[in-house]
Amino acid sequence: MTVQEISRHTTPAGRPQHTAPHETLAGLGAMSRLFWRRNRVRLVVWAVFVIAMVGYVISYYQSIFTTQASLDDFARVSDTPGIKALTGLAANPATMGGAVWTKIWMFVAVALAIGVVFLVTRNGRADEETGRTELLRSRVLGLHAGSVATWSWVAGLCVVAGLGTALVSAAMGLDPAGTGITGSLLFGLSVTGAGLFGLGVGAVAGQVTSTSRGANTLGSVVVVGFYVLRMVGDLGNGALTWASPIGWAQQVEPWGADRWWPLALLVALTAALLAVAGLIEARRDHGAGLLPERLGNPGAPRRWASPLGLALRLQRGPIAGWTVAVVLTAGLFGSVVESMTDLLDDAAASATDLIGGTGVDALLAMLTGLIALVVAVFAVQSAVSLRGDEATAILEPQLAGAVGRVRWAAQRLVIPVVGSAVLLAVGGAIFGASYGSTVSDPSQAARLAGAALAYWPAIMVLTGVAVLLFGYLPRLAVALSWGVIAAVWFLMFVGDALGLPQSLLDVLPWSATPYVPLEPLTWTPLIVMTVVAAAFVALGLRRFRARDLQPA
Amino acid sequence: MTGNAPALRVEGLTKSFGHVHALRGLDLVVPRGQVTGFLGPNGAGKSTTIRVLLGLLRADGGTVRVLDQDPWSDAVALHRRIAYVPGDVTLWPNLTGGEAIDILCRLSGPLDPARKAAMLDRFELDPTKKARTYSKGNRQKVALVAALASRAELLLLDEPTSGLDPIMEAAFTQSIAEVKAEGRSVLLSSHIFAEVEKLADRVAIIRDGVTVEQGSLAELRHLTRTSVTVALDGGPDGLAALPGVHDLAVHDDGQHVTFAVDTGSLPAVLAELATLHPRSLVANPPSLEELFLQHYNAAGADAPAPTGSAPSGPAASDQAPSAATRAGRAATR
Repeated sequence: MTVQEISRHTTPAGRPQHTAPHETLAGLGAMSRLFWRRNRVRLVVWAVFVIAMVGYVISYYQSIFTTQASLDDFARVSDTPGIKALTGLAANPATMGGAVWTKIWMFVAVALAIGVVFLVTRNGRADEETGRTELLRSRVLGLHAGSVATWSWVAGLCVVAGLGTALVSAAMGLDPAGTGITGSLLFGLSVTGAGLFGLGVGAVAGQVTSTSRGANTLGSVVVVGFYVLRMVGDLGNGALTWASPIGWAQQVEPWGADRWWPLALLVALTAALLAVAGLIEARRDHGAGLLPERLGNPGAPRRWASPLGLALRLQRGPIAGWTVAVVLTAGLFGSVVESMTDLLDDAAASATDLIGGTGVDALLAMLTGLIALVVAVFAVQSAVSLRGDEATAILEPQLAGAVGRVRWAAQRLVIPVVGSAVLLAVGGAIFGASYGSTVSDPSQAARLAGAALAYWPAIMVLTGVAVLLFGYLPRLAVALSWGVIAAVWFLMFVGDALGLPQSLLDVLPWSATPYVPLEPLTWTPLIVMTVVAAAFVALGLRRFRARDLQPA
Repeated sequence: MTGNAPALRVEGLTKSFGHVHALRGLDLVVPRGQVTGFLGPNGAGKSTTIRVLLGLLRADGGTVRVLDQDPWSDAVALHRRIAYVPGDVTLWPNLTGGEAIDILCRLSGPLDPARKAAMLDRFELDPTKKARTYSKGNRQKVALVAALASRAELLLLDEPTSGLDPIMEAAFTQSIAEVKAEGRSVLLSSHIFAEVEKLADRVAIIRDGVTVEQGSLAELRHLTRTSVTVALDGGPDGLAALPGVHDLAVHDDGQHVTFAVDTGSLPAVLAELATLHPRSLVANPPSLEELFLQHYNAAGADAPAPTGSAPSGPAASDQAPSAATRAGRAATR
């Protein structure tokens, strides 16, 4: 045995599984304090957001559903495929607790899960990618100290958000007399469970991928994928609901079956995912993901030297990913529409309020709007990459070439402008083809492709807002652009419960778009929105041409 | 080339970011076919100046002419004739170094594959590796290869050798010498004095957004002191009282004497010294580093002024280099 071999067998370096546990956690206290310092605002905002949303919906519903008859109405109106698909339906929707759960539970649960993925990435993979972790690890810091600090705080956030929800629910009297606070407690803890699931997913995603963007994308796709899985399950016989951890949290059924054990399932899954993340972290190299870096081409094709060509190359991953997402979502939506027709026939005629009408066309219109929202996320992600390039200083070498600013930005915007039209047409056509094949009506493909394209002006307005912000408020542009998208999603889920004036809601891009195919197509709003979008883009680019470059 | 107009001329450039005055009347000239060293402490405004020269920032005041064009309004046309190397190179993490070089080159004009290959070879860069796997020095090489593979008339280099190993620094020195031999112009911002001393014809020193000295190295040396060590049997009688002699100290052995002398006073001092019969004499002309530190310190506080002229005054270009300065310059070689 050579000296080298001996030392390899005796040194703990490279074999962290032999390291004493307390060593891999050295510096945990310092990392915990650092986490709190860097994330205190986010943690508080998330907890307050979840608890306040629930509290607000409770007080609003208590003010409008003052009689059992009105709750019965709500339950009848809510028993539609649209509601089942979007939010799930409570076990007992004709109770105050059931009504509140139907309205807000799915929104806060999924929002918290995705928010947690981003929090975990921000404090894990993102720090590692930028080299901050390396600086910290050069000090006396255990291998897992950073991750364990993050996981503990984020788990704490989920527990606080859940207990706060339970507290608000109990304090505002959602529990029927004589049942104690079991329902409220389960309501809150099921939110915690969904958040913990997000923690496990985020932790593994941060170990598997080597970039923060990849980790965020992977984590979000997994959470949304399981959301859609339970959607299909809820619309079918329920089997697929049980295949989704979001579905498990749903099956806690507060004020219904009052099940505790799905919570144990969620905790066990989270523990397993965290264990996997810890194992990968112990075995992989710092800075690496699971896939090794490959060699590439020594030269670039000529077309990459234009801003558009380069952007198409750099965004080909996201473009492919969004195309797959839209195709799968549209195909899935189309395949379940027909099976609901029976349910729709049974649904009360008064279902008009919640999905904006009855019948197949109302459902088609709602699902078309959802597909368009997915495309909108793609368009905004592509548009905010203008600021992304500026913030990371990668824009400077490009502009140091013979490329004008407006030409650079305008070419980059071809992707969201053309790409979203293509994605809408493809998504609508597949949605229609998938639905049409179940009802033997091939004309549905063209009809729903047209319906989806009606959302193009609305998506352009959101893109225009992103460009306007890029021009005038570059440092805030990314956050605010995502805020606008989040607000549109938020209004889609809970807008009617906010009691906002109808005149305001009417001018928002999504409600301004005709509710096709339920409503007839009207051109005026579409033309107005297109003009507004073009004006936003022109103003944003004019400002960008006149201002200093501002790296982050 | 249009006549004898300098490749780059900046007069009274000002730039503020909110309440922070980054540049407060900066002057800078890069003559055609010359290398101008651009020196200043961290935060003095070097990078801000270069970003104004690239049209990435808009000047608040003053005149800026780059190759007889306005860097803000003529940016695109101008950038066909310019190459830029930042001190902190950001690349597309998922593209290879070779791909990044091609993109950067083609953004300014046609790509010259032979020059690219030659530069890749000279800087020993593997173009097939992804940018995210590159070290700092290798990222720097990507920007250098992209800039040097072009035939740009003016090179704007912002600490271009940061992170390079000494062999690569030598490759860089060779490349800049070639650029100069081809009659092209270079603005070289750097903290490596040896590099600037070797390459630069002229030097501009800035501090707090203002040019404190500008001129040829010879001219600047003339403004500063030479340090002298002599061994005298009889002691330094009357030396300290001579005009232009500073910081005179006698060693413990009572024979070795060191002092600094204003370069302008050197002839008179040397004549006086000869009468004291020195057994040995060592004279060190000021290095660029000393020159820089003297200006830096002098501009900050009432530290010993390096010369009779005010530190913030214009370069002493009106003074012809004296014999002593030329001698000093020769001694550095």
